[in-house]
Parts: sequence; structure tokens; C-alpha cells
Amino acid sequence: MLALLRRLGAMVLTLVVSSFVIFAGMYAAPGDPLTFLIKNPEDRTPDRVAAVRAEYHLDDSFLQQYLSWAKDVLHGDLGTSFVYKQPVADLMGTRLPITLTLVAMAALMFIVIGVGLGIVSALKRGSAVDSSITGVTTFLTSIPNFVVALVLVSVFAVQLRWFEVSGDGEGFAGRLYHLTLPSIALAIGALAVVSRVTRQTMVEQQSLEHVDVARSFGLSSRKIIWRHVLRNSLGPVVTMCGLIIASMLAGTVVIESVFGLSGVGSMLVDSINAHDFPVVQAILLFMVVAYMTVTIVVDVLYPLIDPRTRERSEAA
Amino acid sequence: MSTVSARRRLAAGAAVCAIVALAAACGGAADPSSSAAAAKKNVKLVDTTPAATGQLDKATWLLPKEPTNLDLSNDDANDQSDLIMANVCERLNKLEPDMSVGPGLASKYEWRTPTQLVFTIRENATFHDGAPVTMDDVLWSMKRNSTDGNSESDEFPNVKSFAQTGPHELTFTMKQPDAVFVEALAGNAGLIQERKVVEAQGKNFGTPSSTDACSGPLTVGEWKSGESVVLRKADDYWDAAKASKVDEITFKWAQDDAIVNSLITGSAQGAYIDNIASAARLATSGGITVSQGPDTRVWSLLVTERGGLADADVRKALSLAFDRDGVNRAAFASLGQPWKEPVGSGAWGYEKQTFSDAYDKLAGSPAKPSEQDIAAAKKLVADAGTTKPIVIASDGSSIRNTLANALVDAARKIGLTASITQIPTAQYGDFYDNPDLRAKADLFADDYYISKTDPVGFYKNGASTSEVQWVFKDPAYDKLVLDGRAALDPADRAQIAIELATRWADAKPWISAVQSPCTVALAKDVTGVPASGSVRYYPWAADLGKKG
Repeated sequence: MLALLRRLGAMVLTLVVSSFVIFAGMYAAPGDPLTFLIKNPEDRTPDRVAAVRAEYHLDDSFLQQYLSWAKDVLHGDLGTSFVYKQPVADLMGTRLPITLTLVAMAALMFIVIGVGLGIVSALKRGSAVDSSITGVTTFLTSIPNFVVALVLVSVFAVQLRWFEVSGDGEGFAGRLYHLTLPSIALAIGALAVVSRVTRQTMVEQQSLEHVDVARSFGLSSRKIIWRHVLRNSLGPVVTMCGLIIASMLAGTVVIESVFGLSGVGSMLVDSINAHDFPVVQAILLFMVVAYMTVTIVVDVLYPLIDPRTRERSEAA
Repeated sequence: MSTVSARRRLAAGAAVCAIVALAAACGGAADPSSSAAAAKKNVKLVDTTPAATGQLDKATWLLPKEPTNLDLSNDDANDQSDLIMANVCERLNKLEPDMSVGPGLASKYEWRTPTQLVFTIRENATFHDGAPVTMDDVLWSMKRNSTDGNSESDEFPNVKSFAQTGPHELTFTMKQPDAVFVEALAGNAGLIQERKVVEAQGKNFGTPSSTDACSGPLTVGEWKSGESVVLRKADDYWDAAKASKVDEITFKWAQDDAIVNSLITGSAQGAYIDNIASAARLATSGGITVSQGPDTRVWSLLVTERGGLADADVRKALSLAFDRDGVNRAAFASLGQPWKEPVGSGAWGYEKQTFSDAYDKLAGSPAKPSEQDIAAAKKLVADAGTTKPIVIASDGSSIRNTLANALVDAARKIGLTASITQIPTAQYGDFYDNPDLRAKADLFADDYYISKTDPVGFYKNGASTSEVQWVFKDPAYDKLVLDGRAALDPADRAQIAIELATRWADAKPWISAVQSPCTVALAKDVTGVPASGSVRYYPWAADLGKKG
């Protein structure tokens, strides 16, 4: 319980610090939001400029701007987009589900396939199967994901027409269908890492004493693999998967752009370019929160997988 | 949005491209040199595509970006807002596909005296909720459009007052005659909206949850933020002959490459192509019709007051040595046109032939520099004496990089030194307002368009008080700008516009490079929409229908 409170405290502190750093970064970035608030250069007369600067508090000091933003956030108001004139929460509300679904589908793929391949690799260590799994996944990981995305589009959407080129689809089934190619493009890069970590830890476990003991007791090899090798290998695998998912949440922009998805990533890039402070701030904070949430989930899972860690943390 | 224009899109799109595109996500066109000729051959040059013969029940139309706001009077409504709302809202005057100005919600107008402009408002027009367009709505709309803070308020500099002078008569009392104002009333300055609908929605007006307050052939059905905007055919449109030929059109947005692929696979029926290089692949893919029409958009190099190009002769020399044709091939897949002046042929909304002849006579901006051009440029440079090294700003996007390299090449050929400095895309638009940024480069590249079909509407930017050029000051030119606005006779105004163009060309406050025509791609079973820049205000989607 205390540990949980401590974690929550750390989370709040991290949020405060990161929101400040992000705000400062945006403030220091080159470019003037005014260029985007009055699009036509011929309309930027001194009077208009002064009025707009006042409306958006652009002339307030950095600290004043930050504090007024922070105050609103504490009241549950993420602000209003400079560009869209809509509440940031509304904008996020329509984009988040797309990004989250995309990452969830990609995560499911790379975990199931990656771990599966890792297990096969470990069991068939040294065989042709092992080396071809290692070879193929390494090759796939070495291709940048936007190239993978373009290839997938051109083969499966343009040539074969099995999938749609862009957009996010209507309804749940439509959404899954539309997000299939994007999630494959997103997942492929993670396959090698996950399968390699799984293979490595399983190979290490197999050579440990408790496995030898189990073997000497005459347990079936299926039982040994399942109960002793795989279970003990799960820790590093879960940690690795967690880290990959967390970084995916912040790294969907390229895939979203190629597949014409209106997700959080593409909105982030647009907002940065348009100096849409409230939106940038909200998205980056979402990414920080998402990262922390994933790591917490991993920490919570850990004792379930390996009771020894629970004892250790209780002792500490 | 002012007399002129506004390069509304610019940065954001380009940057995503810069990030994503490394590979091709934005470029689209395959091998530029070989496919370009084939692509160009397949592109049709027209004001409007062949008329549709049948009603179309549904269409999907692609945009490069989501509209930011559907209230066109809002300062940050973008190009996409205009393109969508052109079908929904109507103005006092109407921009036609051939870029001329015709009657809109006013059936006619006349200059009763040189300072009395009288509009006769139609009696049969109705808004989308069925309410008639009343004089109260008209007066209220004009007041809204002309109020300070509205993006159109700068269109009304010569309007002293306006009032209802008859049952259906609106009279503007002017400080002086103003021909450009009449053209502006075919744009957002002439927008007529229903008072009670706009007022009821307050600050919410123009956001996804709001409804439109207009009278056009289509009405806003639904805007799902981040996803799509749906327009539906208006019930009982007041002008039955011009009722929409499409029942429902859904707008979605995507990157250039996704737009191209969606059209090829048939999941979308059409798109106006912003980055025209990507149209090359469409033109050669079969099944897709690509058409181009006149627009006012031109890519130019804008000269700053930094000092490297303070001498007009050096600017002229660079213009003589600049390879516009090369830029067109490299950055526009040959789908642009090497162009001599800062405004495109879409500005020739009247006296077309006169303007076209005058354009042909403009000297000093060859498509491909000849040996004589280079020799003349070298002489200009020699006469100018010592000059500072020239700096041109790029942002790493393909068009700006090509323009910058072409400029460096032109400088080298005539014995000048020039270098490229990189400015982040997010900051590039600040060149117009930030003198400190302009102190970093002698030239920056931008595409500029005007929303009015009149060269006078552009050349006013050469005035000494201009916010978009910094090196040219000429009292005689300033006087011509005023005369041009006041010349109510088109033939007279054309002569003044040509004189302005000649003086601008002689001073070269900008070095113009390539005209980017309006480009539309259509699936094989649909047709009807204009291919000209008129689509900013003309209800183009109402003409979209089945092909015969």
C-alpha cells in the first residue's frame, strides 16, 4: 500500500516536472504562433496582431503562461486548441481511440508472434529453424517502419486490394479491418527484439540447476518447459514488451501519416508545426502518463509472475 | 481574407512530409524525368471538366488536411474550410469557373454614381432551414464581415457606409470608386449568413458540433472531428436549375501518397491536388482523369531587406539566369508552368486576351536562360560592382530545396556567390512578420495566391506600405495602385494592371519561378467539377455527377 502511494507521488512529481519541461521547450522553440493565428500575412496589421496576442496571452511572461495553463489543468480543463478552436479534450477524445487501438493490435501481434517465435527458437536451438527465425526477424527489424508501411500499402492495398489504403473505418469490425496493415507495420520492428529476448532467457533457464533437478526427477519435457523454463523466463520478456508498448504509444506518427489515420501522433506533429501549445502539451503529457502506466502495469504483473520479487519488495 | 490572399497552407503539411517522406510518402511521382512527359500528355487543360449527365448518390473526396474551422470569417479557417464551404455558402456575387465574377445572392449590381454601389438582392433565395434570405440578414452579414477582427474587414477600406435603400436594395456609399471591392464580394467579404442561426451558436459557430447558416446547394451534414465532414444536398435549393448533382459527399483527409493510392484503388472519387508533383502518378495510372485549370498560385523567391539584393539590377540578373524549366521538372513533375510574374493566369478574370498578350511581352524571366540571357545577366552584375554574398532560405522540403539550389546555380553562372541556409518549417512563415528572421536571408521561397481574380488585387502588394515586399518603393507605383482600384472600366483597369506588372517586373521585389495550376483528379465514373482556382468560392461539388 505504502509502495503504491509512493509510486503515485512519484507519478505526480514526474508529471509536474515534465509538463514544465515540455512547456518550456515549446516556448523556446523557434517560430511565432501568430503566423498561424492570422494566416494571411496581408492581414497582420499592428492592431490585429496586438488584439490576437492579447487574446491568446502571447505577451505574458513564460511563468505566467505556464501557471495559468497549470491552473486550468487542475480544474480539469486542458484548454482550447489555437488552431481548431475546440476543447483539447474533445480533439483528444476522437484521436485517442485510434492510436490506442492501433497500439493494442500491434502489441497483441508482436507479443503472440514474437514470444512464439522465441520459444520455438529456444527449443530448436542451433537448428535451421532457429537460425532462420533469427535471420528473418532481424531482417524485418532492420527495415524502417515507414518503408514497411509503404510496401504493405502498395502490395496489399493497391495491388491486391485486400485492405483499404487509408482511413480508420466505421464501427468495431471496420476499425479492426482498417487498422490491420498499420498495426502489422508497427509490430514488425518489435518482433526481433521480443523473440530474441525470449529465446535468450529460455536458453539461460534451461541450463540452470533447477531445470536439471526437474529433469532428473523424470518430469516430462513439456512440463519442464512450461512450468520451469518458460515461467521463469517471463520476467525479462514482460519487461521488454512493456517498454516496447510504451515507446509505441509515442511513436505512431509515421504509421498514422502513411495510412492516413487521424491519431494522436499525426495531431502532435501538426500541432507542433502550428505552435498549437495547448494541444502539444496535452498530447505529450498523455504520452508521459501512458509510459508511466505501462511501467506500473509491468511492475504489478511482476510479482504475479515471480513471487520472489514480491517478497523482496516487501522486505525492502 | 484580403484582397489578395494568403498562403494559408504552408508549413504544417510540408513538415509532416519532411518527416515522413524521406522515402516517398509525399513525393508520389516515380521517376520524375521519364514519367513527367507521359503525365503531362495525359493532363487536360480546361476551366471545367465535362458536364455530368446523371445524379450521383455518394462520393468521397480527399483533402490534404482537416478543415480547422467552418466559420469562414475566422482568421484561421484554412484552404480546406474554403474548399468545403464553397458548396454550402453563397455571396452577394459569385465566382464562376472561368474566373469571372457573376451574380450571386444579389441578382445584379450597378454603380449608380462613382461612389454609390447598388445591389439588388434576390427575393426567392432561402437558407437551409427554409427561412428566406431577408434584407436584415444581408445587412447583418455585411456588418459582421466588415467589423474589425473579422478576416475580411480589410476588404472594406473604401466603404463609408451601407444601408437598405429599397425593399430589396443594398447601397454601399464609397469614399472613392473601388472595382476590387466588387470582386471581393464574390469571396468571403460578400458572405451572406442567417443572423439567427449564427447568433444562436455564439462562439461555438464553425466548430464540429455547429450547423451552417447558409443558402448554397449543399448543407453541412456532419463533421466528425478528426475523421470526416459530410455535405448533403440541400432540400429545395432556391435555384432549382443549379441543384446539387451529388446527394452526399464525404470529405476525408490524408497525406499525398495516401490520396494517390485511394484514388487509384477507387476508395475515393476525387481530390484537388495540392502538391501537383503527386498528380503525375495519377495521370499515368489509367482510369483517373487529371485536369488542370488556371489559378493565381505562383512559387516565387521573395527578396528581403537584408542587403545582398538591394540592387535591382542584381535581382534582374538572377532572374535572367534562373532555370524555371529545370525547377518545374525537378520539383513539380513538369505539371507546373515556368512563370514570369508573381500571380498566375487565374487572376485574368476580365480582358483575358489583353492580359495574355501583355504577359507574353514581359521580359527578363526566361523559362530556360539562353546564352544571351546569361551574357546580359553577367553585364548587369559587372555594372553593379561589388556585392555581398547572397543567402537563400530553404526548409528542407523538396520544392524549397529545388528553388534554393536553382538560385545558387543561377548566381554561380553569372559570377555571384550564393549559399543556402536552413530555417525550420515551423518558423518559415515568420519571414513575413519577423525582421530579425529576414535579416538571416536575402530570399525565401513561398507559394502565394490571391483570392480575387484581378491582377490589381495582387500588384497592390508592390506599394511602399506593403506587408509582403520590402525592397521596392516607388511613389508613381503607389499612385497606380490607387488608380487601378478606382478604375471601374475593365479595359482601363487592365491597362493599369499591365503597367503595374511591367514596373514590378522591372524592380523584381520577388523573383517568380513556377505557376502551380489548380489540379483535380477524378475517378473514371464521375465528372463535372471545375478545374480552376474558382473552387475556393464556387459551389463546385454541386456539379459533381455521373459520367455519361
